[in-house]
Amino acid sequence: MAVLKTESLKKYYGKDPNTVKALDGVDLEIQEGEFVAVVGTSGSGKSTLLHMLGGLDTPTDGKVIVGGKDISGMTDEQLTIFRRRNVGFVFQNYNLVPILNVYENIVLPIELDGNTVDKGFVENIIETLGLAEKKTNLPNNLSGGQQQRVAIARALATKPSILLADEPTGNLDSKTSQDVLGVLKMTSTRFHQTMVMITHNEQIAQLADRVIRIEDGKIFAAKGR
Amino acid sequence: MAITAIIAIAVILCSLTVLFYRRYVKKAFDSIDRVLDGVLARNTELSLEAAADSRLSKLTHKAIKIMQMNVLDISQTTQEKEIIQSFISDMSHQMKTPLSGVAMYTDLLLEGRMTETERQEFLSRIKTGTEKLQWMMDSLVKMSRLEVGAVELSPVAAGIKQTISDSISAVYGAAAKRNISLQTAYFEDMALLHDRKWTGEAITNILENAVKYSPSDGEIKISVEALPIYTKISVTDYGVGIAPDEWNSIFKRFYRGRNAQGVAGAGLGLYLASLIFQKQGGYILVESKPGKYTTFSMFLQNCKK
Repeated sequence: MAVLKTESLKKYYGKDPNTVKALDGVDLEIQEGEFVAVVGTSGSGKSTLLHMLGGLDTPTDGKVIVGGKDISGMTDEQLTIFRRRNVGFVFQNYNLVPILNVYENIVLPIELDGNTVDKGFVENIIETLGLAEKKTNLPNNLSGGQQQRVAIARALATKPSILLADEPTGNLDSKTSQDVLGVLKMTSTRFHQTMVMITHNEQIAQLADRVIRIEDGKIFAAKGR
Repeated sequence: MAITAIIAIAVILCSLTVLFYRRYVKKAFDSIDRVLDGVLARNTELSLEAAADSRLSKLTHKAIKIMQMNVLDISQTTQEKEIIQSFISDMSHQMKTPLSGVAMYTDLLLEGRMTETERQEFLSRIKTGTEKLQWMMDSLVKMSRLEVGAVELSPVAAGIKQTISDSISAVYGAAAKRNISLQTAYFEDMALLHDRKWTGEAITNILENAVKYSPSDGEIKISVEALPIYTKISVTDYGVGIAPDEWNSIFKRFYRGRNAQGVAGAGLGLYLASLIFQKQGGYILVESKPGKYTTFSMFLQNCKK
């Protein structure tokens, strides 16, 4: 079953004759449990694609279908709720809340949805990501790799079915990247998540089940497994 | 008078409350009923109610998740069937070549008209063919047992030094034959979560590969480095190398690299190695400059302190 699907997805910025075609007719299908890497140079439209998949931005034309639901027609409020329950995000710059400690950051999205925290599950994630001793630290006391691991834990804590990662290792040195990447892959396998990861780094992309290449807003070669 | 009025108002309020509450409960139950009907009918279009910020919407959301899990289970079973089918067809294809060679040389030998040198040549080709078949059979058995989960890897905390040195001894002979030196940078032994037997097998596969694609008189470097979550075991050879667009493919079953043409192999070794690492929560990465070097980095989880 395709958990994520786009149909001739388009995103244009600006007005004629100066339109920028960030996405120009993207048809994509991602299966449940698949780990897909989207590779492309900067300005190729890969981040725009990820934002569309996660309901962070609305398309100019075309459809985004998540779990059989067309999200391109949802209102902002519906989208917010949709994201909170279905999608986990990991960004290049971590986006942690600086005044909350590690644990509070991780459980924040659960509490935002008005749910009680599944303590056992969250502890399990914290343990897996090697953050057990850092629970009460503030983000600015952590290294880049540790901060990204907190962001991964936060993304996993709500048990989302889809994990979207935008250059998750973009700010990390190559060794730390390998470490964080391994963790991302291991957890997504363990919690049966579909993962879409954006990167410009071939070394990072090789762990994916499938690599999709995007150039000038179009997919130009998809290598199957 | 006033008391009667208060009592009357109270009675009215109570009955109104009861009435509204009944309606509320009925409505909630009706909605739950609708959701469950949807689940029974496998209708994934329960969408409207799932996107609101209410109790019922959360419930609907969970119902949908349960349904999706079922759908996923079914599609996984179908997928596994397809994998097995493609596996069988790949496998029979791979076996055909050495098998037909063996059959042909046996026929020629049976016909009998040949010189002694030719006879020796044919016999040695048959031997190579059967060896290849034997090796493939072994790998296939291991692979299928790993894939269907017939063997469970049991990663335990164990010193990695012993595992690595076992693997090095396993390829030492093949390396020495072509005068390739294996150099291990000094490292402190450390306890890593791994299944010694299978991990040894995987590291041996990576080392065998390095030996196979190294030039004679070359060298292979082995190093170990601890990261926060994982420990990295790297094997570097200075052979043909692998182009970046193939990095994702080389770990796939039966995939042979473009630079691997003309070198014996079945496209199983790396696949098996990466499967073994994955089964114990690790992974393998490759980095290479064609014509310069290739580094395979194997990652195993550190033990929790």
